[in-house]
Amino acid sequence: MSWLNVARLSDLAPDYPTACSVEGHRIALYLVDGAVYGTSNICTHQFALLSDGYHEDGVVECPLHQGRFDVRTGKALCSPLTIDLATYEVDVRGDEVWVCIQGDGR
Amino acid sequence: MLESNELFHRVRPLYDAYADCIDEERYEEWPEFFEDVCFYQITTREAHRKSMPIGIVQCNSKGMLIDRIGSMKRANIFEPQRYRHLLGALHVEAAENGTIRARMGFGVVRILESGDSMLFLSGIWHDEIVETTEGLRFREKIAVLDSSRVDTLLVVPV
Amino acid sequence: MSDVELQAQRIEWPKEGVSRVPFEIYTNDALYESEQDLLFKGPIWNFVGVDVEIPAVGDFKTNFVGDTPVVVVKSSADSYSAFVNRCAHRGSTLCYEKTGNRDAFTCVYHNWSYDLEGNLKTVAFHKGVRGKGGLPDDFRTCDHNLQKLRVQSLCGLLFVSFDEDAPELETFLGPKMCAHIQRIFSKKIRILGTFSQHMHNNWKLYMENVKDSYHASLLHLFFTTFKLNRLSMQGGLILDGDGGHHISYSKMATDAGGGTDYESGGLRAQNDEFALHDNRILKSWPEFDDGVTHAIQGIFPNLIVQQIQNSLALRLLIPRGVNGCELVWIMFGYESDTQEETDIRVALSNLVGPAGLVSMEDGVIGSFVQRAIVGNQGRETVLEMGGRTVESQESRVSEASVRGFWQAYRKYMRL
Repeated sequence: MSWLNVARLSDLAPDYPTACSVEGHRIALYLVDGAVYGTSNICTHQFALLSDGYHEDGVVECPLHQGRFDVRTGKALCSPLTIDLATYEVDVRGDEVWVCIQGDGR
Repeated sequence: MLESNELFHRVRPLYDAYADCIDEERYEEWPEFFEDVCFYQITTREAHRKSMPIGIVQCNSKGMLIDRIGSMKRANIFEPQRYRHLLGALHVEAAENGTIRARMGFGVVRILESGDSMLFLSGIWHDEIVETTEGLRFREKIAVLDSSRVDTLLVVPV
Repeated sequence: MSDVELQAQRIEWPKEGVSRVPFEIYTNDALYESEQDLLFKGPIWNFVGVDVEIPAVGDFKTNFVGDTPVVVVKSSADSYSAFVNRCAHRGSTLCYEKTGNRDAFTCVYHNWSYDLEGNLKTVAFHKGVRGKGGLPDDFRTCDHNLQKLRVQSLCGLLFVSFDEDAPELETFLGPKMCAHIQRIFSKKIRILGTFSQHMHNNWKLYMENVKDSYHASLLHLFFTTFKLNRLSMQGGLILDGDGGHHISYSKMATDAGGGTDYESGGLRAQNDEFALHDNRILKSWPEFDDGVTHAIQGIFPNLIVQQIQNSLALRLLIPRGVNGCELVWIMFGYESDTQEETDIRVALSNLVGPAGLVSMEDGVIGSFVQRAIVGNQGRETVLEMGGRTVESQESRVSEASVRGFWQAYRKYMRL
């Protein structure tokens, strides 16, 4: 398991996700009331980037079919989604956003 | 038991003769390619895959084949037409019960007296062939047409 | 009235009424276009399929109403929906497969996604990307649903209509046609085969042919050539629906002296060169209690229900331009059939279809007419057999059901 610096806090915006890619992981970062959360950037329904979608108050909407996930828990909130999103532990150190990558690909 | 190469050379002339018989309009000879008790069907790929019992033509005996030719010659009314079979590759293997299983793809051009000519049918034969004292005969011939749509009518066998 | 309708309306129907049909009716392009709106999208019901073809929720099949491609869906456990097979966005074909099963209908072009009723649910990138692009704020998905059709069914036969004002299906069919449909479809059917036949003639020429009981023993020579007596059968003609619907029926002779064709054919086989070599093709059993062995039912404008002894079929005629049409055949039996009964239906199917020993001529006779009437505008067909009127008759040597078709056609087409 390792922590990696993936983005700057000052680059994040409240109403759309920010994409980053580290060691084969495609991650979406969200700014919610000053805190940062991270999920997989690929929708679990069909291949679409959540970072192209719309984020509001901790809920991200996939651009393709408008499936919605809770960014804090990864939980799928409505159809057509049936599988929850993987989440990533995030730590903010000053202006640096760090993400925890598990060694086994998670 | 013939090896596959010999089987191929034994069986291929049967198909050449079968197509020639139809294309040269020797229709009375067509039923003679079959055993007395035989199964001849023209069906579609769609129906064949779903094991549907009704295709386009179903004959359970040489007698029914003779009747189809009799009807074509004396009863049915249609625009005069001929076929030209375009034969594909032959796949042949010996079956455990002493018969020969064969598959061959085909295309059929239909030519009308007006000169209109079209690729009328394409498909594949799934056949069972037996050795008789008079030579090779079809015990079963299933013509599986690629398309489920037939143009106008189908009267000459394939 | 549109320009096309005006052009079509310049066709003058002869003063003799429905005992004449101008040749132009089979060849006029503007009239063909006008049929799409006035007839197929008019206050009628169009057959699109049978419930057993789409048994599970989400199952769909595609078909045509006139020229318009449509999708019919089993949208819930006890309902069906139908809509035009065209995305509301840029007009792309929504379903290019013939049948399948879907949770939702998503267009491949831009991923606009509709539910099973045809309502637009999601539009990809509707909020743009990162605050740029997307749809205007006042865009409402409910304004962009698929074009929906009404769906009604009778005994599992599914019909659709474009017209909000079309009467209920059973009213459109009328009690006589409904009773006949109930006669055939009150048991669950099993589809035994399906194929289609392209014919090089205007669709109305085939409809006339199938309604014309007069030609049966004259064009179709199989029975007379093989000396299978057809002429003494009792029967008749029933018309309804302004003449547009018909049933032509007969009872095969089963009295002594001839027996059934199967039996009498067998008796002659030994000493008659014109007999069949294998008459198992004609074996049959009494399908229904009423003694009717042959019944051809025509539902206006383009559906046929066939009973030829135990060969049962639905035939849907789809227009393909002024000079062509495609006849889709659905051969069926019943779930309750024994293997022997199925085998008999299979053998009898040799009589019908594009290779039908009895009916193959129907595939070409329309084209014989279509090519001979070219360049002969101003001339007309003559339909006086059985009189000049449109009414149910006891004789099948009659063109009354053909005149009936034209009576209904003129009504819908305002000719």
